Amino acid sequence: MKIVVCIKQVPATNDAKIDPETKRIVREGMKAILNPFDTYAVEEAVQLRDRFGGEVISLSMGPPKAEASLRETISVGVNRGILLSDRAFGGSDTWATSYALAKAIEKIGDVDLVICGKQAIDGDTAQVGPGIAAHLDWLQATYVMAVEDATGNSIKVKRMHEDGYDICELPLPAVITVVKDINTPRIPSLKGRMASQKSEIPVWKPDDIGADTSKIGLDGSPTRVVKTQPPPPRHTSTKVIEGTSQECAASLLRELRLRSIV
Amino acid sequence: MFHHIKNKIYHVEILPPKQDSEKLEKDLETFSVKYERVRESGYCACITDNAMGLLAFQGTEMIEELELPVEPEQVMIHLNTFHTKEDLDNILDTCKAKGIKYLLIITGDGSDRLPKLQPSDIGAKGVESVTSVELLKYIGEEYPDQFILGVAFNPYEPEDHEFEKMERKMKAGATFIITQPLIEKNEVVDKLLAKYPDIPVIVEAWMSKKLHLLSEAVGYEIPEDTAFDPIETLKMLHRLYPGCGIYLSLLGFKTQYDLINDTWK
Repeated sequence: MKIVVCIKQVPATNDAKIDPETKRIVREGMKAILNPFDTYAVEEAVQLRDRFGGEVISLSMGPPKAEASLRETISVGVNRGILLSDRAFGGSDTWATSYALAKAIEKIGDVDLVICGKQAIDGDTAQVGPGIAAHLDWLQATYVMAVEDATGNSIKVKRMHEDGYDICELPLPAVITVVKDINTPRIPSLKGRMASQKSEIPVWKPDDIGADTSKIGLDGSPTRVVKTQPPPPRHTSTKVIEGTSQECAASLLRELRLRSIV
Repeated sequence: MFHHIKNKIYHVEILPPKQDSEKLEKDLETFSVKYERVRESGYCACITDNAMGLLAFQGTEMIEELELPVEPEQVMIHLNTFHTKEDLDNILDTCKAKGIKYLLIITGDGSDRLPKLQPSDIGAKGVESVTSVELLKYIGEEYPDQFILGVAFNPYEPEDHEFEKMERKMKAGATFIITQPLIEKNEVVDKLLAKYPDIPVIVEAWMSKKLHLLSEAVGYEIPEDTAFDPIETLKMLHRLYPGCGIYLSLLGFKTQYDLINDTWK
C-alpha cells in the first residue's frame, strides 16, 4: 500500500498576527510546528503501513523551513518526504494548494491512499483534504475516527459525526481526513530523529509536478479575504455555590441542567 | 540508597535534549559531557523524564544511542505516567538490560502531546487514573527485585494529603524519597524524617540563582529580584539535614560544578 500523508507547517501560537494589507497570517519570525491534527494522519499512515506493508510518503507545500516538519514525520516512521516549495506557490488558497498537492500525488504515482489531518490550526478551513480528492477525482471520507480494514482494493472506515458515526467502504485510491480520536501519535525516538536528519528531502517546483502556473499562487486562488477580525471575547462569570457538600452537589447539578450540560 | 548518603554521593540532575531542539547534535554532546563528568566525580546522574511536561528524549535512549557507560550506583532514571504501555515497557526493559537499578517514580506533568498510561494498561483496578502508586505496583509485580524504586515528596502540598499519599507509595514498594526543592529548614520535611527514620531521604537543592522560578512549586510568589546564593543554601542544607542525601537540580556545570566538591564535608 502506497500512502501519501499531506502535512502542513503552522505557526506555533494561537496568537497569530494578520498582515493588514494581505489579510494573511504573518509567518516570518514565528516559531513553526507540524500542524497538530496532521500528527494523527502521520500516525495512522505509519500504522497502516505496518499492518498492510508498503510505503508512507509525507508531502507538504510551504517555504524551505517546512522541511523541518517533513523530517519530524520521518522521525516517527514515515519512509520519505517531499516538499513543494517555490515562490510561484506563495499565496495559494486551499483550492490552489489542493491542486498543487494533487499534481504532486499524480507525479508520485500508484498512490493508494491519501491521509490528511481534518484541518490546519492556522486556517481552520478543513478544505485541503476534500480539495485534493476533488482534483484527483477520487472518493473521500472526512472526519475518520477509525480505519477498520484496508485489505483488498478498498478501505473501510468509521466516519464521525455529531450524532454518532457512519461506517463507509471506499474503493481505493481514496482520500481520508482524520480526527484526533483515531490514534495516539507516537513521540519521536532519538534514533528516529537522528535518522531523519540524514534523510534527503527533494524539493519540487511547479515544473516538476507539471502544474499549470495559472492555477497556483495568488493568481490561481479564487478566495479573496475581504476582512479579518478576532472573535469577540467570551463573557465568563463565576458563581460560587455554598452550603454542605450535598447541597453544593444538588445546586451544581441544577445549574448544569439549566444550561443543558447534563 | 543509604550508602549514597554515607559515601557523600550527590544526585545530579541532567536534562536530556528537548524533542524540538534545533541544535540536537550540540545538545547531545553537552548531555554526554555532563553525564561523563558526573560519572567521573563518583556522583549519581539523575535523568529527567519530560520535565514540566516539555517533550524531551528519554534517558534510556540517550544512554543507548550515545553508548554511555552505566555504573549501576551512578545512574537514576526518572519515570512518570505519561507514556504508552509499549514505551513504558521499552524503558523498563532497557533499564534492566543496561543494569540501571535506581528509578524515581513520579506521576509527572502531562501535555497535549504526551500520552497517558491508562489503568487498564497496567492492570490497575479501582482507580480512574494512573499515578505513581499504580506505576510502582506495576513495576514491582512485573520486574520483581529488579529495581530500587524512589518517590517524590512535596512539603508544599497540604500536609495530611501528602503524608497519606506517601503511605500508599511506601506500601506500593517505594524505598527512598526525594523532596521538592528546599531553601530553608522545612517542618514538614522534619516530620517526614521522623515518620520514616529507616527510609533514605534525599533533599533537593535548587541550584539556579533564579529563585522566583520556584514560586509555583512552593505555592507563593517569590519576587523576581530575590537574591539567592545556591552554594550557601546547599551548605546550609547539609548542616540542617546531615542524615539526608542531596539532589542538585539545575546545577550550573560551568560555574558551580567545581564549587560543590568541598561542600559535603
